[in-house]
Amino acid sequence: MSNPIALIGRAGTYLLLSLAAFVSIFPFFWMVVGASNTSADIIRGKGTPGGALWDNIVKFVNSFDMVRVLFNSFLLAGLGTVLTLLVASMAGYGFEMFRSRFREKVFGGLLLMLSIPFAALMIPLFMLMAQLKIINTYQAVLLPSIASIFIIFYFRQATKAFPSELRDAAKIDGLKEWQIFLYVYMPVMRSTYAAATIIVFMANWNSYLWPLIVLQTNEMKTLTLAVATLAAGYTPDFGVIMVGAIAATLPTLIIFFLLQRRFVEGMLGAVK
Amino acid sequence: MAQSALARSERINGWLFVMPALVLLGIFMVYPILWSLWMSFQVGRGMNFSFGGTANIMRLTQDPVFLRALSNTMLFLAMQVPIMLVLALFFANALNDSKLWGRGFFRTAIFLPCVTSLVAYSVIFKSIFAIDGIANQTLLVLHLIENPINWLSDPFWARVVVITAITWRWTGYNMIFYLAAMQNIDRSIYEAARIDGVPAWARFWFITVPLLKPVILFTSVISTIGTLQLFDEVNLLTQGGPSDATLTLSLYIYNLSFRFMPSFGYAATVSYVIVILVGILSLIQFIVAKDRRA
Amino acid sequence: MIRITSRWRNTLAVALTGVSLFSVAAASAAEITVWCWDPNFNGATMEEAFSRYKAIHPDDTIKVEIFEKAAMEQKLQAQLASGATDGLPDIVLIEDYRAQKYLQSFPSSFEPLTSHVDYSTFAPYKVELATLNGQTYSIPFDSGVTGYFYRSDLLAEAGITPDQLNDITWDQLIEIGKTVKEKTGLPLLPIDPTSSDWIRIMLQSAGSWYFDADGNVTIKDNPVFKAAVETYQRLMTAGITTPVSGWTEYTGSFTSGKTPSTFSGVWMTATIKANADQSGKWGVAPSPRLDGVEGAGNASNLGGSSWYVLSSAPEKEKAIDFLTSIWAKDVDFYQKILVNQGALGTYLPAREGEAFKASDEFFGGEPVWQNFSTWLAAIPAVNYGIFTEEADTATVAQIPAITSGGNVDEIIAAIDAQVRQQIQ
Repeated sequence: MSNPIALIGRAGTYLLLSLAAFVSIFPFFWMVVGASNTSADIIRGKGTPGGALWDNIVKFVNSFDMVRVLFNSFLLAGLGTVLTLLVASMAGYGFEMFRSRFREKVFGGLLLMLSIPFAALMIPLFMLMAQLKIINTYQAVLLPSIASIFIIFYFRQATKAFPSELRDAAKIDGLKEWQIFLYVYMPVMRSTYAAATIIVFMANWNSYLWPLIVLQTNEMKTLTLAVATLAAGYTPDFGVIMVGAIAATLPTLIIFFLLQRRFVEGMLGAVK
Repeated sequence: MAQSALARSERINGWLFVMPALVLLGIFMVYPILWSLWMSFQVGRGMNFSFGGTANIMRLTQDPVFLRALSNTMLFLAMQVPIMLVLALFFANALNDSKLWGRGFFRTAIFLPCVTSLVAYSVIFKSIFAIDGIANQTLLVLHLIENPINWLSDPFWARVVVITAITWRWTGYNMIFYLAAMQNIDRSIYEAARIDGVPAWARFWFITVPLLKPVILFTSVISTIGTLQLFDEVNLLTQGGPSDATLTLSLYIYNLSFRFMPSFGYAATVSYVIVILVGILSLIQFIVAKDRRA
Repeated sequence: MIRITSRWRNTLAVALTGVSLFSVAAASAAEITVWCWDPNFNGATMEEAFSRYKAIHPDDTIKVEIFEKAAMEQKLQAQLASGATDGLPDIVLIEDYRAQKYLQSFPSSFEPLTSHVDYSTFAPYKVELATLNGQTYSIPFDSGVTGYFYRSDLLAEAGITPDQLNDITWDQLIEIGKTVKEKTGLPLLPIDPTSSDWIRIMLQSAGSWYFDADGNVTIKDNPVFKAAVETYQRLMTAGITTPVSGWTEYTGSFTSGKTPSTFSGVWMTATIKANADQSGKWGVAPSPRLDGVEGAGNASNLGGSSWYVLSSAPEKEKAIDFLTSIWAKDVDFYQKILVNQGALGTYLPAREGEAFKASDEFFGGEPVWQNFSTWLAAIPAVNYGIFTEEADTATVAQIPAITSGGNVDEIIAAIDAQVRQQIQ
């Protein structure tokens, strides 16, 4: 333990981590400072806390129907996350556990689909939604995002670390495949689910382009869309924008902070 | 008899598990993809278009703006993805140590950039890299530079800023995948290695990295796709300038579809260049990683 | 064209509406929907206009939806391209530079208003840019008439008086800039090297553009274009500018006194007047003219936008009636939005109103609105065409070359070549 090289290594690690933490937090800190200043002060480059925080918060809360906007955001992000995790983890499990040459080809095709820029798909997707008569509805936002190829791929790669002996043992105990998935796979893979929850929640919460196009009315707007409209115009109020930016960040940050504890426990220790 | 029943059940289960995802993708991806493929053979502006065969592909080869966007995008890919993934792996390894003090704080801090809202992010980055911004002031005080650098209006430095900005935003994001995967490594392997006197770097290199291979492969494929589709950072910080030095393929697609007189067909063709690049690069990555179940 | 067969579509539609727990009912009748991009400017003027209409038509309502400008354009364009009209508004605001692009890309998506409006009552240059094949499609809104906004107190420190700024050329301004730099140490102008705004101002001030009236490229052999690039180069190499990046830094530069002046459209007035502590310290002069160029004047334009009615609008008749009865008739309305929003409309009869003649203490008691109106009438009409964005992009790509003192003829040849390649 008192090995000098190890001590230096440890000190170096702390130094690098502190530096990275500083660089990462600094813009966020700047945002908080900005939230306490008037727009004119921010434009002039003032970098010290000011006294306009409460004013900015009041203006922000009154900028739109906050209850409705938060309801939309939490509903879309929450429901979207649950459905995506379920559908994508099943698919990831299916692709990895039951390999067949044909399904491998399907999977390769999915990876290529993932790489098509959304800008190329947006217009036909909107045509599709119009034909299905679901423009300006929650399902128009949710349906295209649930089967996330990105998350399917993630679950498939993570499943490679899932010990197949566990599945064999469960089979000998007479468990059906869906029972194995529900009672063995899901608990064992909980750090993977934790990471996926963070990623999917964040993606849904911040989702901008597609909701912008498919949602039409103020009643349907999400917090991300609403905050983006604050930046509209020739004289945007940057103090209020900063409050909005913080408000839009907090839910994901809280979820991250709660779930990162999941990264502490060893998975196998819990199973044995 | 029993064998074939088992095989049949495996086959059915295999399809059952992937079916919900495939049905959704079949409805909401296949139709738009077919449409965009069909569009990529159309020439014309706005909604006045007609079948042009390979005209769009010919146009690609003669379009200097496209070639600039392609080479910029490849440069960002080659420079940025390796730096980011190595950093993410380093942070994940350091933060996986249960004896490290302040783990939760460091993890949250390093994750913070990827949740920071884009509006705030662009305002902040621009002010940091302004001519009298904090980046120049710091470098001047430290006597690392003589004169302030025109970060965003110099082609070389603008690229540096963009690479810095992407790395800043996405390192913590990739770190999460590594952290999660590290929980799946049996700790007794490390204990055994430690008792045998294997130094920390060797434990990392010979135990952690090989066991994380599937997830490293995943992050490198995802980061490749992400960088080939790079849009937000350049759109907010430089808008592709100066002198198209930071113009990316995605920004060009956006310009072709929404800023310029819309050429939806040509924009679709450029999109499929990205798909082909991802196809080739992912194949290489899969081969390098030899992604086979042992 | 690939289409989902209608049977499939119906089945899916039924299945999907079956789970539509949260879908919102369609908008009620006689409600006019408007899309625009500034809650304090065009959005606020629209609300004001409607409150006047509502006094006569109490049953009607308006719904002004605000988006960030680029987002609104993307949304509008994606929906028009999809051919699906669900959810499109009745009225939409379009920036003048992009008007022809929309009109020609999406034919029959916009409603011609020629038979409803007497266009001789609007500034001719605004009417021209919304006209296609003899039909005019817009209700012109604000002007982007340019001005040179300066801090009179800071320039006075360098011994510059307002008279010296009137009716001058760009080269005279460069000399003034050198004096200011010498006496006060301040760079005269903030300049965003990723924007072609000033080249556009110079081009239009001499009645020229990247394209001629028929849409042909006029870059390489255009003396105005050459003069503009040369002037821009002299400006950038004179040591009197400071580079800024993006809107915040740009507006921050002159509102914080780091630079004592800028060029912009009249709509910049609101941003400047937001700094109440600087009242009485500002002045506005006409923008300078190009030296040695035929037809060069001191009036130009930057930005500005107009209202368009969509052909698919559910409340089309109502929307046209509303626009024509307020925006093309109500002089008093234009006084109100000038005072409250600083919006300089282009409805010519409005110039005779009280507010246009009033002097402004913020600008040292000058009758700034009257001045802007005079300059407005002198703006040369040019055809922005459909490829202005392409030409802008090609020009901006050469700005580093211009700034570093590159050969102007080679630079212009490169811009010309790229524009021709991009629009083929």
